[in-house]
Amino acid sequence: MGAGDPFGMPVSHALASGMGGIRTAGDLVARMQLHRKMRLPEAKRYVADRLKVAQSDLSDEVAMRELREELDLGVVTSMVGGAKALAAKARIGRLLDVRVPSVEILKQKIGVS
Amino acid sequence: MTSYPTRMGDGHAVEMSTDELRCDILAGTEDAADRGRIPALSQEEQDYLLDLFSYPGKIVGVQPGNEVVLTDDGSVNALYGAQSSSGVGVPLSRELAIRVYERAFCMDTMEVGHPDYSFKPVKPIVSLEQQCLESVLSSTIIPIYYGAMPNLALYAKPDGPFGNPADLLPQGKISEARAAQEEAAQALTRDMVYVGRKMAEVGADGFNFDTTASAGDAEFMATLQAVEELAKTTELSIEVGMAAEFVLGMHGQVTYDGVRLAGLYPHEQLKLVEKAGAHLFGPVVNTNTRRSSAWNVSRAVTFVKACSEAASIPIHANVGIGVGGVPMCETPPTSMVTRASVAMVEIARVDGL
Amino acid sequence: MTENDILEAAKQAVVAADEEKAIEVARQAVALGLDPLRVINEGFTPGMRQVGDLFERGTMFLPEVIIASEAMVAAVAILEENLPAEQKEKQAGIAVLGTIEGDVHDIGKGIVATLMRVYGFKVHDLGRDVPLQRFVDEAKSSGAQLVGSSALMTTTMVGQKQLEKLLKEAGIREQVKTMVGGAVVTQYWADKIGADAYAENAQEAVAKALELVEG
Repeated sequence: MGAGDPFGMPVSHALASGMGGIRTAGDLVARMQLHRKMRLPEAKRYVADRLKVAQSDLSDEVAMRELREELDLGVVTSMVGGAKALAAKARIGRLLDVRVPSVEILKQKIGVS
Repeated sequence: MTSYPTRMGDGHAVEMSTDELRCDILAGTEDAADRGRIPALSQEEQDYLLDLFSYPGKIVGVQPGNEVVLTDDGSVNALYGAQSSSGVGVPLSRELAIRVYERAFCMDTMEVGHPDYSFKPVKPIVSLEQQCLESVLSSTIIPIYYGAMPNLALYAKPDGPFGNPADLLPQGKISEARAAQEEAAQALTRDMVYVGRKMAEVGADGFNFDTTASAGDAEFMATLQAVEELAKTTELSIEVGMAAEFVLGMHGQVTYDGVRLAGLYPHEQLKLVEKAGAHLFGPVVNTNTRRSSAWNVSRAVTFVKACSEAASIPIHANVGIGVGGVPMCETPPTSMVTRASVAMVEIARVDGL
Repeated sequence: MTENDILEAAKQAVVAADEEKAIEVARQAVALGLDPLRVINEGFTPGMRQVGDLFERGTMFLPEVIIASEAMVAAVAILEENLPAEQKEKQAGIAVLGTIEGDVHDIGKGIVATLMRVYGFKVHDLGRDVPLQRFVDEAKSSGAQLVGSSALMTTTMVGQKQLEKLLKEAGIREQVKTMVGGAVVTQYWADKIGADAYAENAQEAVAKALELVEG
């Protein structure tokens, strides 16, 4: 985005046009852009297919909150026992079939392939 | 005659009539088209902008389903206080700040960056930065970049060992100024590749070159060479964000892939960034503080649309203070930030911001 | 060659950054007995103005601007030899420029300094990270008509306001015109602190500087 006070800049953009991060499926779509150079329509299509939902559901807070909990991908609200941090990323990587570098390092350290 | 509250490029409030808004939207897109030698916005797109700026609501939003990915650069320091990032003085560590951005502000990605935010000062403390990144990566879910500015100026005297073009050029020492920039660029590339590899070692998802070419065409060349090397040798997802709408010709002759870098506009910069192997491109269009937000947004969207249409990689437009149609002031008005945001998504068809 | 042909050739020589051609045109103008001041003002100077426009649009680059300015300086030197004695020593003005203390950004201010020299100013460029008192001391000792300060950060732009105060305290604010610039600076800020001018870019800075010194 760019520089600016948190309310004026990231929060304003998040409200106006942001996907919603872990509140929805924003982080998953971002991963496809980052790791596979996918442009937005392709990235959304890919993630929707993997999640078996309509593309319009990807930024639906209610639909994605339920689905993230069901698939244990990490949710925005604090939830006892749910996948967090590296565990959530490992599950996201497997779901999307992408290598998450920090997860790969963890696997190496604990001897899991 | 009906008038609408809007803002100037410096953030100050002004009222404009429908005709004034329409004229500024036309003038803004024509200015971009003329400078960039790109198409102006269509009448339909100009009408869309007119609706956006005459919509009575304070804030606006994209059509549901059209939301885009947000990548963040430098904001990790904005909760505490970076001089140029409008910090708000909340004394949180970078690790905690990123978790706030992830969980409270719902960013799609975040970035670890040092408060100095240039690659040169990061090099001697790279292990500190690696550990901060490791800590963030082990406590977050969203993709995490490490980012900094190439900032070639730090390699010139008195901050670095090489001649300063700002001193040499006025003396007419053009070949010396060019040679100094070429030497400095090599040192910069080395440092950026070094830091990039270190961040790849600890599992960074991405690596962000922020405000690229701030010191001109030699800095852009150094960055493209670093991108090429890191793309070949690491798994890093690489983002290149620019500093200004055209590459300043401080050298004037440096090339990449046979293309002279000085004077390139966003859609031309993009092609070289793609060629170097980057995964994301962040075009910048500067805000003119004396023109209206309608003029600035129309102009910025024209440039970014041309860039987006030419792209094969995702385009994440810069829409921070003073760029992308956003007013140049520390507390950018939400009314204009959201309008710039929507225009970038609905007209320029960006993949993210 | 008519006078208009000479004026056009002078302009084109500068735009093409062609020093040899600029010298040749200047010599032709002298040989034809044209008014040297008119050739400077209506030939070479518009050429330099066009160079500035091209630079501002990103189609001409700083080294070329320097070469163009050298072409103009060489041609003007020939024409000046034929000026009346009282006009020979004329310079646009004396200016003190610098980036406010705490701010190490130098590039934009350096470009302004370069272009101002091109347009005939004697420029005392104090560099970056300049203590405010140095602006005042240099303005006093050089007899400057202009004091220009640059700030790229919101934390250093407040130094521009303090500089206005220091110039007043030193009793020289009425003798100098002040200009402010830099990425975070706006016309509103200039008005608010009482600076005489604000410029959005280097080319505009030169135009404003000329306006200020010409009154």
